[in-house]
Amino acid sequence: MTDVFSLRPLAAVLAAAVGIVTIVASKRSPNVREGFTVLSAVSALGIVASMVPGVLNGTTYVTDLGTFVPGVRFVLRADPLGMIFALLASLLWLITSFYSIGYMRGLDEHAQTRYFAAFAGSVSAALGVAFASNLIVLYVFYELLTVATYPLVTHDETEEARKAGRKYLAYTFGGGVAALAGTALVFLTTGTVEFSAGGIAALANADPVVARAAFALLVAGFGVKAALMPVHSWLPDAMVAPTPVSGLLHAVAVVKSGVFGIARVILDVYGPDAVGSLGVGLPLAAVAAFTIVVASIIALRQDNLKRRLAYSTVSQLSYIVLGLALLSPAALVGGLLHIPAHAFMKLTLFFCAGVIHVETHTDDISDMAGIGRRMPLTMIAFTVASLGMAGLPLVAGFVSKWYLLIGSIETGQTVFVFVLLASGLLNIGYFWPVIYQAFFQTPEDSDAKPLIEFPIGGVRAVTDGGSKDSVAEGEQYAVDRNPSDHVAVADGESDHDAATDGEPDHDHHHGGAPAGGWERRRLGTESTWFMMAPITIAAAGAIVLGVVPQTAVFLALVQRVVADVTGVVF
Amino acid sequence: MTDALVLLVVVPIAASLFPVALGGRFERIGWFVAAAMGLVHLGLSATVAARVLDVGRISYAVGGFEPPFGIELVADGISAPLLVLVSLSTLGVLAYARRAGPHSNAFYSELALLTAGISGVFATADVFNLYVFLEITGLATYALVASGRSPSAALASLKYLFVGTIGASLYLLGVGYLYIMTGTLNMADLTEAVASVGYSSPAILTSFGLIVTGLLVKVAVFPLHTWQPGAYAESPDTVSAYISALVSTAAGYALVRIIYAVYTTEFLDEVSLAGDALVALASVSIVVGAVLAVMQSDLKRMLAYSSVSQFGLVVAAIGLANETALVGAVVHLVGHAVMKGGLFLTVGVFATGLGVRTVEDFAGLAAKAPVSSAAFAVLAFSMVGIPPAVGFVGKWNIVVGAVEAGAWSVAAVVVVSTLLTLAYFGRVIERMYFTAPEPEADAVSTDGGNETVEVSFGMRAVVVVSAVAAVVLGVLGSDLITVIQPALEVYF
Repeated sequence: MTDVFSLRPLAAVLAAAVGIVTIVASKRSPNVREGFTVLSAVSALGIVASMVPGVLNGTTYVTDLGTFVPGVRFVLRADPLGMIFALLASLLWLITSFYSIGYMRGLDEHAQTRYFAAFAGSVSAALGVAFASNLIVLYVFYELLTVATYPLVTHDETEEARKAGRKYLAYTFGGGVAALAGTALVFLTTGTVEFSAGGIAALANADPVVARAAFALLVAGFGVKAALMPVHSWLPDAMVAPTPVSGLLHAVAVVKSGVFGIARVILDVYGPDAVGSLGVGLPLAAVAAFTIVVASIIALRQDNLKRRLAYSTVSQLSYIVLGLALLSPAALVGGLLHIPAHAFMKLTLFFCAGVIHVETHTDDISDMAGIGRRMPLTMIAFTVASLGMAGLPLVAGFVSKWYLLIGSIETGQTVFVFVLLASGLLNIGYFWPVIYQAFFQTPEDSDAKPLIEFPIGGVRAVTDGGSKDSVAEGEQYAVDRNPSDHVAVADGESDHDAATDGEPDHDHHHGGAPAGGWERRRLGTESTWFMMAPITIAAAGAIVLGVVPQTAVFLALVQRVVADVTGVVF
Repeated sequence: MTDALVLLVVVPIAASLFPVALGGRFERIGWFVAAAMGLVHLGLSATVAARVLDVGRISYAVGGFEPPFGIELVADGISAPLLVLVSLSTLGVLAYARRAGPHSNAFYSELALLTAGISGVFATADVFNLYVFLEITGLATYALVASGRSPSAALASLKYLFVGTIGASLYLLGVGYLYIMTGTLNMADLTEAVASVGYSSPAILTSFGLIVTGLLVKVAVFPLHTWQPGAYAESPDTVSAYISALVSTAAGYALVRIIYAVYTTEFLDEVSLAGDALVALASVSIVVGAVLAVMQSDLKRMLAYSSVSQFGLVVAAIGLANETALVGAVVHLVGHAVMKGGLFLTVGVFATGLGVRTVEDFAGLAAKAPVSSAAFAVLAFSMVGIPPAVGFVGKWNIVVGAVEAGAWSVAAVVVVSTLLTLAYFGRVIERMYFTAPEPEADAVSTDGGNETVEVSFGMRAVVVVSAVAAVVLGVLGSDLITVIQPALEVYF
């Protein structure tokens, strides 16, 4: 471990930050503006990537900008843990930039300059989070990330979007406040907030009550962005944002800054040993396990595809937290590896949802029967990514889950093994219907979806000899009573509504198959390559991470982090 | 060199005569006199600050009468930055007033007088002299508030006059008690004199209660704030900005000086009720001020209540008797002045240029005035305490100080105040950026009532500069602290 003074960590943050200025300056010419987006994405990625070989060899790049507040220096450090997040954020930003261009132009969205500028700002702040060398610097960028993301959540400027934005600010700033309070406690008990692999030594000997309180505040604070239950509900609401935002920020950069904060707290502030001896790991693991299972169950009942993906994100983020909270080396590897693994897979899924929205204005899963004919490549990518989510081999999700399983067995907490396996089944439960009906059904011939369409526990409509009215209304049918008829009735109704409305409001949802079913398109002709290429690359990334994890750089970085913290070399 | 210290007061007083005296002959001379005064003031305060950085505390005996018998003026690490702040605020407000007005010569005389009063408060080391300067400040402010043309401005001014005079009288009464018990008015001298009388002496306790209550009226802490929202909201935008930046700041500074130089931390240790009462009052002020701010529809009133809340932070930090917290209090005094002054000017830009004054009107403002809106957003987020802007530096030090002092409830209130501040600024920003404007808004503003003036480059520049300053001050926060800290260390 050698520290080398270098401006590169700062340059990476600035590359994205300068993007804000150039994007705003070139607002009159959209092509130049998008050029600047790509340029700053490429340069940020280039700078981050140039540090990877050095970091893998044990070099840490450090930019020291002097004292920030007394006792705390404003230092950016590119260490292995930071590199995981930085590399991920900058790589996926480049991919998402192209997708954003296709998406925003495809929908002819308003305020595109604000959108691209805020996007660059968000990534800049995320890189700052990655390279922060102590809790204060982390807090600075964590808050800036909140501010930069707010315009993206509220992008639609509808009442719903403003409400989501308000909720987002209240939740995340509330979390920030808790994190700040925890930081202050750590600062006072130890006199430092500097990250060091294996934890701040003084903290292990501190008053356990204070140490536990600080841990609870920090983890609760970062847990808001990590969408731990019960502070997760901003995330599904934030899905009102444009899909690239949901993809990069609400599946990768923002939510993972929360997870990353928890990782820093456990690995570099407290250290696994201190977390274990304070006895705070197990409660956190329990919260994570609860979130994994409950969020998956809620996801089963979401009909809006993006909301279903959001609940899936809530669930999957807790895999990472669970891995970190279990503290065993293998679990740490699994948790940390799930950061990139989930990122690639979930980005693919969101990209798919977005391209479906752009091309067909369909948002609800119940309208997607047979859509595999219209969007074959999209749905293939969707299939690959969702199999990975469920943890099937050859996709990224399997590798991290494998380590997580080994880690849970290692610690003797077999209950978490069952949680992980049950979650895999639930993943199949909520992804399979999407895939199945996309490829094997048509709008005219599709099964009912009992979990979505009926209240929990079914409806007691006809058993007590009720009035004929309730039977006549199609919605009152029980599940097993001629379900396909029911769907046909419902479809007829909605078509009728759309016809009478007749409003050419493309933002408003009027998705579903056109009359006569989905047209059949060949692979790759379903949308512009601005959108298809990012989907393909993200899905390919998920497969590469799953097939050859040892050569993909992330596992090497993760193993390095775990070796530094625990001394266990894989 | 130390002459600069007395000139900081003398130059504005002298300058205040010219606009009125020459006004009959030259109609618009007031602004030029004030601008010249501002530049000279900046030169003087920079000289003082440079000297303080060089040698530390400097002192000047007025009229050659040596303290403790004569009046002493002092500049140290706390007052020097504040004196520079006065010069810069004056110049900023003048750049704004060039187009926005008020244009009368009387206004510039009053402004110069106010500058003199505030500079005096920051410079003096004599408790009676402090009263004089507080009264000069107060009288000039009453007149300035009344220069708003609406009847409600006159009413607000009258209310301020009554409440402010009561506050000043309480202060004076407290000083009387001090003088009877100790026979001196010099702050440095009082430190030992008060200690020798004994902190538990009823007269000393009474004087503390009277002086602090009097100053809290001037600071406008809930429930003594009643004069302040009217005074800020009804006066012309230029005046609101200037007094919100400096007048309560001066009183807050006086509170720091009186409590720590005259009564000292030993007093606070012995009379624990004093500090506790301050902290409790301040905590209530933080919360109530923010709640009242959320309820306002008029932007300037909202900003005024925001000051009630923000000064609660300062007073809480003063009451904690903790060095870190006190550093935070002084940083927040400076930071709040920059941020709140800038916010009032920004709201003024919107009001002059577009005729909008209420939260409702702010819908879709970002599209019409992108630069000023961005400045408003930066200043607002800085006030919320988003790092790296200056609002964070003050808050961080206050939080750390509160935890150090074991005052968990204060730490919690200060931390939560972030969210409260967000509550009232968040809804404005949301309307500015993410709400479509109401179509008939333009018609309303053109058909009378609000006349709009073209916004000048100077007005826009000041607004942008204050936003930039809020961020730069935050980044350089540790340098500011290294200036302030040595001057505060002597009290602990």
